Amino acid sequence: MLGLAAIMLVLIASVVIGVWGVRAARSTPDFLVASRSIVPGWNALAIAGEYVSAASVLGLAGLLVKNGVGAMWYAVGFTAGYVLVAALVAGPMRRSGAYTVPDFAEYRLGSPRIRRMCGLVVLVIMLLYLLPQFKAAGVVLELVSGIPYWIGVIGAGLVVSSTIAVGGMRSATYVQAFHYIVKLVFIAGPAIVLIVLAGTDRREAALATTGPDPDWARPLLDLDGSGHSVLATVSVLVATTLGAMGLPHVVMRFHTVAGARAARRVAVSVIVLLSLFYLFPIVYGLLGRIVVPNPEETDVVPVLVPEAIAPGTVGAVLTALVAAGAFAAFLSTSSGLLLALAGGLSHDLFGGSLSKLRLGVLAGTALAVVLSLPAADVDINVLVGWAFAVAASTFCPLLTLGIWWRGLTATGATAGLLVGAASSTGAALASVILDLPPGTWSILLAQPALWTVPLAFATMAAASRPGSVPDWAGEAVLRLHVPGRYSTGDTGPIRVRDRGAASR
Amino acid sequence: MIQRVRVTSPQTRLAQRRGADAMGRLSHLAGRPPIPSSAIDLVAAERALRRQRRLAAGTAAALAVALAALLTAAAVVPGRLGWAVLFFAPYPVLLVLAAVHVRRAERVEADHDTDGP
Repeated sequence: MLGLAAIMLVLIASVVIGVWGVRAARSTPDFLVASRSIVPGWNALAIAGEYVSAASVLGLAGLLVKNGVGAMWYAVGFTAGYVLVAALVAGPMRRSGAYTVPDFAEYRLGSPRIRRMCGLVVLVIMLLYLLPQFKAAGVVLELVSGIPYWIGVIGAGLVVSSTIAVGGMRSATYVQAFHYIVKLVFIAGPAIVLIVLAGTDRREAALATTGPDPDWARPLLDLDGSGHSVLATVSVLVATTLGAMGLPHVVMRFHTVAGARAARRVAVSVIVLLSLFYLFPIVYGLLGRIVVPNPEETDVVPVLVPEAIAPGTVGAVLTALVAAGAFAAFLSTSSGLLLALAGGLSHDLFGGSLSKLRLGVLAGTALAVVLSLPAADVDINVLVGWAFAVAASTFCPLLTLGIWWRGLTATGATAGLLVGAASSTGAALASVILDLPPGTWSILLAQPALWTVPLAFATMAAASRPGSVPDWAGEAVLRLHVPGRYSTGDTGPIRVRDRGAASR
Repeated sequence: MIQRVRVTSPQTRLAQRRGADAMGRLSHLAGRPPIPSSAIDLVAAERALRRQRRLAAGTAAALAVALAALLTAAAVVPGRLGWAVLFFAPYPVLLVLAAVHVRRAERVEADHDTDGP
C-alpha cells in the first residue's frame, strides 16, 4: 500500500508541475525567449526523462538476472545512440524546422505520399515501444497493491491519457525533467542504501565472477545460450545505437531547443545524464541475482530486491520508492510516445486538427492497452529492442541519407522504408512464430538490425536514380548545414517560414 | 525600437502550422523555401557541407571502432575487470566522442558563418 501511495504522490506532483509549467510559460513576456533561457539544461533533463523508460528502470536489471551481465550492452547502445544524434541529426534536423520525421521527409523529398508512409512507420515504432511501458505499469501495480494486471494496465492508460489532457502537453519539458530527477533519486537512493544493508557476504557473492554458470558472468549478451554471443551483442548494439537516432519522439524533442548549436549540445548533456543513471540497474541486477535468483516475473526484480534484503519497514519504504521511480518511467515515456503516436495518427495519416490530436491520444492509448494485455509474458527489453530495430532499419537511413546525401529521392526513400520496415518487423514476428532453436538463425531473426539496417541503406541508395533528383534537392540539403541567418533554426524557430506562409 | 512580437507556444505554432498544412500549404516547404536562392553563398555552403560531412563520417567511424574495441576487451578480459569494462568504461568514451565532435562542428560553423558574429 505504501508503494501505491508513493505512486499516487508522483502522479499528483506531475499534474501540479504540469499546471504550474503552463502558468510559468504564460507569465513570461515572450515564450520563445523564456524557453531559450531554460535550455539546454532543462531540455537535456527532459530528453533523458523521456528516454529512461521502463526498459532501463526495470528491464535492464531483470535481464541481467535472467541472461547475464551482458544485458548492460543495451544501456551502452541506448547511450551511444546520442553520439550519433549529436553528430548526424540534431543540428540539421533543428535547422530544417521540421517538427517530426514525416515533416522532415516531406521537406526534404517534396512528396506528401512519403509523409503518410513515415506516419505509418511512426505508428509501428511507437506501439512497439508503448506496449512494454504499459506492461511495466501493470506488473508494478500488481506487485505493490495486488491490483490484477489487466486492471492496472487499463488504469495506467486512463491516468496517462488524462494527464496529457490536463496540461502535460504544454509543459511536457518541466514534467519530464521532474521525472528524470524522480527516477534518478528513487532508483539511486535505494540502490545505495541496499548496497550498505546487503552486508559483506551478499556483496561479495554479488560481485563473484565465478559461479555455476560461467556464461552468465561473461560480459557479452547471449540469447538463450545460442553460443554466438559476439554476434548477438553486435546486433543488439547496432539496433540500439542506430535506433536511438531514428526514434520519432527523440527527434521531435530537439525542436524545442533554441537552435542547431544548442541541439547538438543538448545531445551531449543527455549522454552525461544517461551515464549517471545506468550505474544503478547494475546494482539491482547483481544484488537481485543473489537475493531473488528465480523471480516469477524478471521485469519486477528491482521492486523485489529491497524487501528481500531488508524485510520490514525499511524494505517497504525502499520498495515504495523504487515502485514510484518505475511508475515515473512509465508515465514520462508513455506520454512522450503517445504524443508522437497521436501526432502521427492525426496529422501525418489523417491530416487533422488539434481536436483530432486529442482523439489520437485516446485511440493510441486504447490500442496500446489492448495490445499489452496479451504481452504480459514478453520481456520489456525484447519489445523495446524491436522498436529500436525497426527505427534503425527505417528512420536511421532516411535521416542519415536525407541530411547528408542530396542524391536521395522520394522513390529511393519509399523503397528503403518499405524494405526496412518489412524486414525488421517480419523478422521479429518470425522469431516469435517460428520459435527456432537457439543458434545463428534465431539471433538473426530476434535481433535483425545487423542485416536489416544495411539492407535498408542499400535499397535507399540503389533505388534513388541519379536522373530523377529534383533541381531543388541540392539547396534543400545545403540549407540544413549553413549556419547563421538563413538557416531557419538559428533565427527564432520557423519565423522565416511563418513569414513566407503568411504572405501566401 | 520596440517591436511587438506575437507570443505563441511552440505547440500552438505547431498546431496552427499543422492546421494550415492540412490545406496543402506545406508545398512551400518542399524544396521551394521562401528565401531566395541568391541569399545563400552556394559555394561557401557547399564547402561547409563537405567539411561537416567529413567530420560526421569520422565521428561515426570512431564510434564504431570504439564500440568494437570495448566489445573485444569485454570478451577477452577475465573476471571483474571484464565487468568493469562493460559497466563503466563505455560512458566516458562516448562522452568524449560526442564532445569532440560538437566542438569541431561549431568551429566549422564559425568559419562559415557569413553573417558575422
